[in-house]
Amino acid sequence: MTDSDTELRDALRNAQDKVDSGHVPPFGSVWAAATVRARTMRRRRRAIVGSAAAAAAAVFAFGLLVQRGVELQFIDAEELLGTTSWSAPSDGLLPEHRFDIYEEIPVLIESTETYGGALL
Amino acid sequence: MRDSDVLDKNPHVSRSALEAIHGQVFGWALSRSDYDSSVAEDLVQQVYVELLTGKARFDNRSSLKTFVFSVVQNLARSRYRRIASRLRLVQAASTEAVAEAVQPIEPNESAALWKAVQELPQRQRDIVELVFCRDMTIEAAAGVMGVSVGTGRAHYDRAKKTLKTKLSNKGAGCDD
Repeated sequence: MTDSDTELRDALRNAQDKVDSGHVPPFGSVWAAATVRARTMRRRRRAIVGSAAAAAAAVFAFGLLVQRGVELQFIDAEELLGTTSWSAPSDGLLPEHRFDIYEEIPVLIESTETYGGALL
Repeated sequence: MRDSDVLDKNPHVSRSALEAIHGQVFGWALSRSDYDSSVAEDLVQQVYVELLTGKARFDNRSSLKTFVFSVVQNLARSRYRRIASRLRLVQAASTEAVAEAVQPIEPNESAALWKAVQELPQRQRDIVELVFCRDMTIEAAAGVMGVSVGTGRAHYDRAKKTLKTKLSNKGAGCDD
């Protein structure tokens, strides 16, 4: 900072001090007012959050009550199966529809009697 | 910093530290509110509320003074934005009332230097006040104003040059 800067700074500071002086309110009073304001804000915020929560709970409870009032509707199982049954398009190509392979296998040996330790 | 002093929502801020800079903060708030002391007091009060509620949180990255000055600056800006929008609405109904409301109160019209400062563009006026009158570095002042250090330095140099020119011209005029 040059000498001319210092001069300018001192002159400005004097001018500013004249403007500032006599206006400054005591810190204690401003702080006390701010504390009250902050407390009020906090209370108001809590009240808003509380009312919002209460409103949400009321809406939820109302929703439950309304749901209870609705008559239950049963579904007919046969109707449901009828709408959901499915057959492969290739089923028509089978020689016999619903061919059961286990029923058609011939029984070759059916004995539980043994001879000399071996199954007959 | 006494432990009992520390704010609940702002662990790096104490009541005593705020008290120590209260005068300077008020001075800055005063210049942000066209030298209306009641508006300035309300502004400072709002700053303390922001600190008490933790809405403005100081994290020790700058000095407390720089931080509090920035909060004053931001609050004043948003407040003036609100006032300006309200004024625009009122303007449609009454243009006379607006002219009265925005009329700034000159704190010391007789002082040539003060007048020269008041005639500077806003940014130049702010940086001159912060650096010369509020003992801030150009870096800190730029931080408060929300501009880069380079921009702050440019405003500072321009303001200094303008002030020196104006004052030397006035001095020459007085001698004649």
